[in-house]
Amino acid sequence: MRWVVYWSLFVASFKMFVRNRAALFFSLFVPLLIMLIFGVLNFGGGTNVSLGLVDEADTDGSHALVAALEATDTFDLQPGARDAELAQLKEGHRDLVLVIPAGYQLAPPTAGTPGLVAYSNRAKPEQAQVGGLLLNAMVGQLLAGAAGGTGSGTPLVALEALPGRDLGYIDFLVPGILGLTVMQLGLFSVAFGFVQLKRTGALRRLFATPTSPAYFLGAQVTSRLLIGLAQVLILLGVGLWFGLQLVGNVFLLLAVSVLGSIIFLALGFSIAGWAKNEDQAAPVANLISLPMTFLSGVFFSRDAMPDFLRTITDYLPLTYLNHALRSVTNDGVGVGAISGDLLGMAIWAVIAFLLAVRLFRWE
Amino acid sequence: MSLEYHSASMNSPQTTDPGQHDAAHRTGALGKPIVLVRDLRKRYGTLQAVDGVSFEIAEGEVFGILGPNGAGKTTTLEMIEGMRTIDSGSAIVDGIDVSKDPRGVKARIGIQLQASSFFDELNLVELLDLFGHLYGRRVDAKALLADVELTEKARSQVRTLSGGQKQRFSIAAALVNDPRVLFLDEPTTGLDPQARRHLWGLVRQIRDRGHTVVLTTHYMEEAEELCDRVAIMDSGHIVALDKPLVLIDALLGRGFTKERVERLANLEDVFIDLTGHTLRED
Repeated sequence: MRWVVYWSLFVASFKMFVRNRAALFFSLFVPLLIMLIFGVLNFGGGTNVSLGLVDEADTDGSHALVAALEATDTFDLQPGARDAELAQLKEGHRDLVLVIPAGYQLAPPTAGTPGLVAYSNRAKPEQAQVGGLLLNAMVGQLLAGAAGGTGSGTPLVALEALPGRDLGYIDFLVPGILGLTVMQLGLFSVAFGFVQLKRTGALRRLFATPTSPAYFLGAQVTSRLLIGLAQVLILLGVGLWFGLQLVGNVFLLLAVSVLGSIIFLALGFSIAGWAKNEDQAAPVANLISLPMTFLSGVFFSRDAMPDFLRTITDYLPLTYLNHALRSVTNDGVGVGAISGDLLGMAIWAVIAFLLAVRLFRWE
Repeated sequence: MSLEYHSASMNSPQTTDPGQHDAAHRTGALGKPIVLVRDLRKRYGTLQAVDGVSFEIAEGEVFGILGPNGAGKTTTLEMIEGMRTIDSGSAIVDGIDVSKDPRGVKARIGIQLQASSFFDELNLVELLDLFGHLYGRRVDAKALLADVELTEKARSQVRTLSGGQKQRFSIAAALVNDPRVLFLDEPTTGLDPQARRHLWGLVRQIRDRGHTVVLTTHYMEEAEELCDRVAIMDSGHIVALDKPLVLIDALLGRGFTKERVERLANLEDVFIDLTGHTLRED
């Protein structure tokens, strides 16, 4: 191993990337633009109030209340157990959690009988206020229909504010954009950059020297990894400026990004090795990246997808990458909690590497 | 009478054809052989691209390989350079067997490919420095660029150069390792007469500094002007190999006459006389 040779090729690869306007445009400017557009438009925001619903009564009365809530479009209902839903509230995934206590009667509150309690996230006062008003109004209507009157002026739903985080769309979006960028850099910069060197003969000119082409390959891969890490940091920085709440370990994020980069770099080299020119490389690279862009949870939550589609796309490399990045960024989890994602990515990395070895041709 | 070259002895690199005129040496006696090619063959599918080619190139010589398209010139060149595998036969460059140690050969030679292309985003100095490193050398990029008259383009990228400048840069890149043998594959194809003449001057300078030069060309005038000896290839064979004047005399000796006697000048002379030798590159 001659380090001077490697280093000079690494520096050359790095310069070639940062001086290539098209490469910079697609790998840095486009993700930033997407972040800006989606962040400003706040696509994920919506007007719905996310309501955790904990039915501990399980009576006809509570069922009638649940049915009434389900019948409205105002609330995005998430039924669940008390602890789980309160944890979600704390993490900022719910605006309100309504608890129907055991023994609850669908009747105006009187002393001694358990009443409805809605927990709100203190970090989201607006949602708490709007959601509380809506809940009170709905229960009032329900009681008016059932019992002919509310009886008293006391609130029908007791509101209690708990400390929690306010996760906005930017918190969902930024990890998705990180995953998208890692994928695009690996697939496109390699598939196009390398195929171009192949087509013009610049790669052949390297073979006319006594240096092994493996040095160039190594320099290309490592320079791309470094560029990928720089991109992740830049995008995180811009995300923070937009109000991203980064609670996870940045080094873990970088490590996850490196693993993701390895998958997509290997896929990029598979395409570059197989394709004779850019026209052959482009459709294949797009065929791989486009479905994942929309099915792996970059811009929108995968919860809304039909079950069969979600089950299939659970196994896509970008799904693993996005889930891991999002868990670390939003929930601050450690390696253990994302070990399933890491395993999935590791398997993909091996598959992609074997594919690259099989398909790669220098000429 | 065959002009095919069959010398098997390493000690007698001079071409000898018994029926030739007196082999008057245009450039004095040839030096010791630096490239030895024996019965080289290469097949692509059903096409026998190179079909048993043998020759020797002497140190300090400018050696031309001529032939129509598809004759096997480039394939022959690339096998000697270690850029293509050899099906059978051998090529020894500066004492090193190409099939056994292609990198060893590449370290001792300079290669200008037919369509030379470099990394677009790097400037000329950066490229020469990089190529120097690929040979494990630190190069004086400025001096190399001065040699090929590209000093003022030092910070430009290759894509901004004219055709002639590109070829000159390509030669500079092939000289970073101070090669024993410089291989030029069609160095003047596509250049205007001024740029071609300019490149001839450069090749002569390189030869005068002691580099052996092997080139392919489609221009017979160029071969006559530059080459000490030429090999003419057709369909993978060498059909003639000698000094240009010897080959011409041999043809005349066989009773050849041109249908129209050439005048003492041709249209290219008129062109150069009217437009001058100045390079048009900007």
